Amino acid sequence: MKMKKLLTITFFTLVSVYGYSQTQTIDSLKEVIEKHDGKLTALDERVLVNEADLSKLNKIKISGYIQSQWELYDKNRVVTNEPTNTFYLRRVRVKFTYEALDGVKFVLQPDFSTGALALKDAYAVVNIPKFKDWTLWAGQMNRPNYEVEYSSSQREVLERSRVIRAIYPGEREIGLKLEYIGSKIPLKFQLMAMNGNFTGTQAKDVDSEKDIMARLVYSVKLPDAGIGIDFGGNTYMGSNKAKINPYVSNSDGTLDSVNVGHNLDKKWFGGEVQIFADVLGGMAIKGEYIAGTNSVASTTAAPASNASTATKLGAANKLNSFAGYYLYLIKNIGTKNQLVARYDYYDPNTKLSGDAAGSAVSCKTLTVSWQHYLNDFIRITVNYEMPKFEVNASRPANYMDVTYGNTLGVRIQAKF
Amino acid sequence: MKNNKILSIMLIMVVMATATGFSQAKITVKGSDTMVILAQKWAELYMKSNPAASIQVTGGGSGVGITALINGTTDICNSSRPMKQTEIEKLKGRYNTLGVSIPCAKDGVTIFLNESNKVQELTLKQLSDIYTTKIKNWKEVGGIDAPIRLYGRENSSGTYTYFHDEVVRADYAASVQSLPGTAAVVNAVKKDVNGIGYGGAAYAVGVRYAKVKKDANSPAYVPTKESIGKGEYPITRYLYMYLRNKPTGETKKYIDWILSSEGQMVVTEVGYFPYK
Repeated sequence: MKMKKLLTITFFTLVSVYGYSQTQTIDSLKEVIEKHDGKLTALDERVLVNEADLSKLNKIKISGYIQSQWELYDKNRVVTNEPTNTFYLRRVRVKFTYEALDGVKFVLQPDFSTGALALKDAYAVVNIPKFKDWTLWAGQMNRPNYEVEYSSSQREVLERSRVIRAIYPGEREIGLKLEYIGSKIPLKFQLMAMNGNFTGTQAKDVDSEKDIMARLVYSVKLPDAGIGIDFGGNTYMGSNKAKINPYVSNSDGTLDSVNVGHNLDKKWFGGEVQIFADVLGGMAIKGEYIAGTNSVASTTAAPASNASTATKLGAANKLNSFAGYYLYLIKNIGTKNQLVARYDYYDPNTKLSGDAAGSAVSCKTLTVSWQHYLNDFIRITVNYEMPKFEVNASRPANYMDVTYGNTLGVRIQAKF
Repeated sequence: MKNNKILSIMLIMVVMATATGFSQAKITVKGSDTMVILAQKWAELYMKSNPAASIQVTGGGSGVGITALINGTTDICNSSRPMKQTEIEKLKGRYNTLGVSIPCAKDGVTIFLNESNKVQELTLKQLSDIYTTKIKNWKEVGGIDAPIRLYGRENSSGTYTYFHDEVVRADYAASVQSLPGTAAVVNAVKKDVNGIGYGGAAYAVGVRYAKVKKDANSPAYVPTKESIGKGEYPITRYLYMYLRNKPTGETKKYIDWILSSEGQMVVTEVGYFPYK
């Protein structure tokens, strides 16, 4: 009996102790959960804040490229004691793109090449609401032309063709562009209104007239044959205001009197075609022909230099009929190599030749190039340019200027 | 003479550099997360019957796959949307080809709802209004009085672009929670009674899906083999494989197998629909 009582008391004691400890454990667990719950909520809030910051950063894209090159000139064209070869940085660019919203983009691209910090691109692109194939561009941007818009980091030869360098100096302009890229029909249309005299430093227009450029390209695809053909036309309708010269020299050398304030034509038409074919690794044939009238200052009549485009403002006193074309043959070999040949022609004054042309001589250039893509970021280019200028009294066969001779260029491009 | 020498040197360098350029040890496949399960299954089965073949599959999103195709870091890009004109331009610029597009399956972009959600069907307009927050409450589309919580994909996803271009046709609302994969979207909707998401049909496990209709007067459809095959389901799309050039060698054999009845059976097993 005594034993039974003892067992009962022990049992109840154990149950109550167990119950007490259970309550204690549940209470402490609750406490721990509440504590961790609070911590998790705080972490959640921090993650949300960080995510919001990160999503802003995700809208900024930074890309760029450095083109470091070595050039070897034809020593017969190098003036005594001038260098026959050089290392130099052709382009050092960083591009910032901020995509604020779907269809709203800001682009800023400075160039840090040695000795000249220049703003290359600064524009905003906005998708026109309800017309998703249409965009409006405002600011400083490339002129709408195939070779101009084809990025220097992608181009298969070191420099653009001479006609493009001569008529679109610096490639960029300040203005407003309307662009249509069809999602249902394979059509591209560009219309740009611009100041028309951009020099890289000319912040505002020098006259009230705006220059207009338009380009229309249609694409045909033959998927079974692996062929794509883009073809189209473009035009430039603009003028240069005669500011200081009370006369104008026509293409044929005759003089017309004009008053200060007269608009001198800057008008031309072009036709272009690009053919892409999937033949043992891909190949392309690209060409463009442009002809028209350009009003230039007499100092800019000579073909543009090899290195870059001359950017000279207005003061036009010459009205030249010009013509030029380029033709590329590009062959991909595997995924890492490309072989390229380009033939281009530019005649700054089609109405005069021989001695009468003076320094405005025509030029045919054959350029051959080899590209090797070391990896996603590094490209090596070996480029050999062979210009052949028209010879006359002011530009004799032995004319001493490196841009008149053959040039070997080796470039390493690092792109990120 | 000097010109000839330089040209000869350039030619020799090219030949040397290209001598190793043609060997292809394995096939790499990168891109669409929607297609990653399907692509893995294809690779697994193909390698089982072709032990010499080596196929490596990774996801990341259609955008990532297309970038890899352009950069030359993948042989095949899986994409749940067609390539954009700007992307084709990049391919042209780098490889001088337009790329090769191979539709390999069909998918119905599925609208995921929580199991407890009573909403049965939605029109394309309602979906657009929901994802632009013009419609903010389930009661506006026949559900309970509760706010709609939006889940979607990141902008590198082909499904994100496809849904944007074909359904939303405007900017997504800022309140859409972007998630890294359709599985994550399904998971989020599974846990959230007021959630809505979209994604590939193969992922719709543990959630309900809403019937979709073109407009208020059209019949509503769920994505089934029949409705997809007949083109009745309004958000039907192709799933693509993209290549830089026409396929040759092992890559061609692999793609031919994918398009064969054997490969297309895998499509059905995974939860998508044959391409024809």
